[in-house]
Amino acid sequence: MTTKSRPPHVAAHAVMLLLSFIALFPVYWMFQTSFRASNEIFSSALWPNAPTLDNYRAVLATMPILGILQNTFLMAATTTLAQVVTGLLAAWALVRWTFPGGRIAHTLIALSWLVPFQVVMIPNYVLATKMGLLDSIAGLVIPNAAAAFTMLVIYNAMRGFPRAVIEAARMDGAGSLRTLMGVVAPNIRAPLASVSILCFISAWNDYFWPLLLIRRVENSVVQIGLQFFMTQEGNDWGLLMAAATLASLPILLIYLVLQRQVVDSFIKSGVR
Amino acid sequence: MASIDIRSVRKLYGKTLAVRGIDLSVEPGEFVVILGPSGCGKSTLLRMIAGLEDISSGEILIGGAVVNDVDPARRGCAMVFQNYALYPHMTVAQNIGYALKVAGNPRKERDERVERIAKTLGLELYLDRKPNELSGGQRQRVAMGRAMVRQPSIFLFDEPLSNLDAKLRIQMRLEIKSLHRELKTTSVFVTHDQVEAMTLADKLVVMRDGKIEQVGSPSEVYRRPQSQFVASFLGSPPMNFLPAVVNASGRACVAGDIVTWPGQIFDLPENTRIEVAFRPAAAQLSQDFDGTNVLPFHYEMVEDLGSELHLYGSVAGTRVAVALPQETAIPPRPLGITVPTDAVHAFISENGRRVEPRLENTPPNRSLGAEQCRETSLSYI
Repeated sequence: MTTKSRPPHVAAHAVMLLLSFIALFPVYWMFQTSFRASNEIFSSALWPNAPTLDNYRAVLATMPILGILQNTFLMAATTTLAQVVTGLLAAWALVRWTFPGGRIAHTLIALSWLVPFQVVMIPNYVLATKMGLLDSIAGLVIPNAAAAFTMLVIYNAMRGFPRAVIEAARMDGAGSLRTLMGVVAPNIRAPLASVSILCFISAWNDYFWPLLLIRRVENSVVQIGLQFFMTQEGNDWGLLMAAATLASLPILLIYLVLQRQVVDSFIKSGVR
Repeated sequence: MASIDIRSVRKLYGKTLAVRGIDLSVEPGEFVVILGPSGCGKSTLLRMIAGLEDISSGEILIGGAVVNDVDPARRGCAMVFQNYALYPHMTVAQNIGYALKVAGNPRKERDERVERIAKTLGLELYLDRKPNELSGGQRQRVAMGRAMVRQPSIFLFDEPLSNLDAKLRIQMRLEIKSLHRELKTTSVFVTHDQVEAMTLADKLVVMRDGKIEQVGSPSEVYRRPQSQFVASFLGSPPMNFLPAVVNASGRACVAGDIVTWPGQIFDLPENTRIEVAFRPAAAQLSQDFDGTNVLPFHYEMVEDLGSELHLYGSVAGTRVAVALPQETAIPPRPLGITVPTDAVHAFISENGRRVEPRLENTPPNRSLGAEQCRETSLSYI
């Protein structure tokens, strides 16, 4: 039995190893390049001859990278919280009550997911400008405070929750909000966790909207901060890679600390 | 304890009428069982009493007050659901005490009441466990405890035993019965299981297609079903029905032969189709074909249930079941069956309603009670 299943088993592992290599090699290259001196930046050696922290020192000296990281964390965390809360409330409304137009509302939300960012970019920009949100963290968060994807994931998780349990809470005297927060939400923790992680990563990596909105480096987020090292005169790869490593660190740390929970939540929620 | 009055209650789902004008009274302390097949509207009716479903028209009164627009939690009802509906993330103690927590009862009082209920239900050792660490019977007890802790004036049970195995179902049935004797709380129990219905009910309500077919004590409904549906729904094996036609003299003819209660007449037009019915246990085997009360029975197979024998065969081309004591020796063919007249029922084929014959010498349109038919016997000429 074991011998029969070995060849496909080995092939599967070989494919997985290859895919992991393809995914991880650029990360490794970014990491090791950040330690290279400028004279060996284009070397194809797998590790710098004389590793140095000069690039990191230069990044910290040239730009307020810690402030930028703080901005990015604040923006990503607030966006995630807002998206999960709005998604939770919208999904609850659609699952808990049958009301005229409910199905249309659900369809419209689902359709809005299919609208590309480029279509709403200009109207959003004009609106943000008129609301005085230009060059602010609030301007980055508010237009992204509700997301169709988040709502749809939570909606599907809630639909699978037994209706009788919700009715039991009603019989026990729990109001609608109490039922949501005290009974339903704790039982859909896995999908909530996975959708939160996806929201956070998506917000952290967002580039285009901050590029439109942010003007000053103090209000910037990391993805915009990185482009300061990309100039018309050429790219400063050492500084760029050091800044990129610093930008990736929080996400990597989150993943390393919560690795088991992250994988569990994705498996349990069916979000892959 | 509170009374329940249901007045002309209807429930519409879109254009579908799920409950078609129900009138029912439940006395304080009474144990009412609503029995019916799937989709008959029994659970909908229970949910309307609970307040989980809106009423399309009519009124529901609890303790004399109309509760049509009253929130479920304020009706004084507690409900036990079919699949227990326990909160999966809470322990047994938290599940039982949740209603008290929502009501704002102090923690000390909550703990005391939860412990008392747990003791009554034998759950003291499981208070820290989550529902997924419990057996079906234990979960059922937790669901009962959650209902009991609120000290409701009405218990509503929505097929609470249907997910349990046969042995546990009997045990829980007895526990529910003894709890009702102890607490004397008005209870409405919905089921499709006739044994549960017969054993638990003070008052039995049989429903079909959103309407009440019959209300009465279990023995009344069993012994004197008011419709062919009720007669066929209660009893296992189900009641036997022999198609018959009323002749010019008011007697019932089965397959061209006359079946009658000697001296008894149906006040029905000639050629009215009726169903002559009897329970399998009411029939007895006979080989005495000289008598006038023996129906030829062509039996095909026997089922030995341990406690009794079930014989399946046909009478005048219609399938018939006969239940006999286990020790009965089945005589060789040809076989006949006799049925005492007081065990025979008749229903009009067209509408399924019960019809009673009258004595031959009494004026027409006077219905006879089954007790008046005793001492006579079914005859086959």
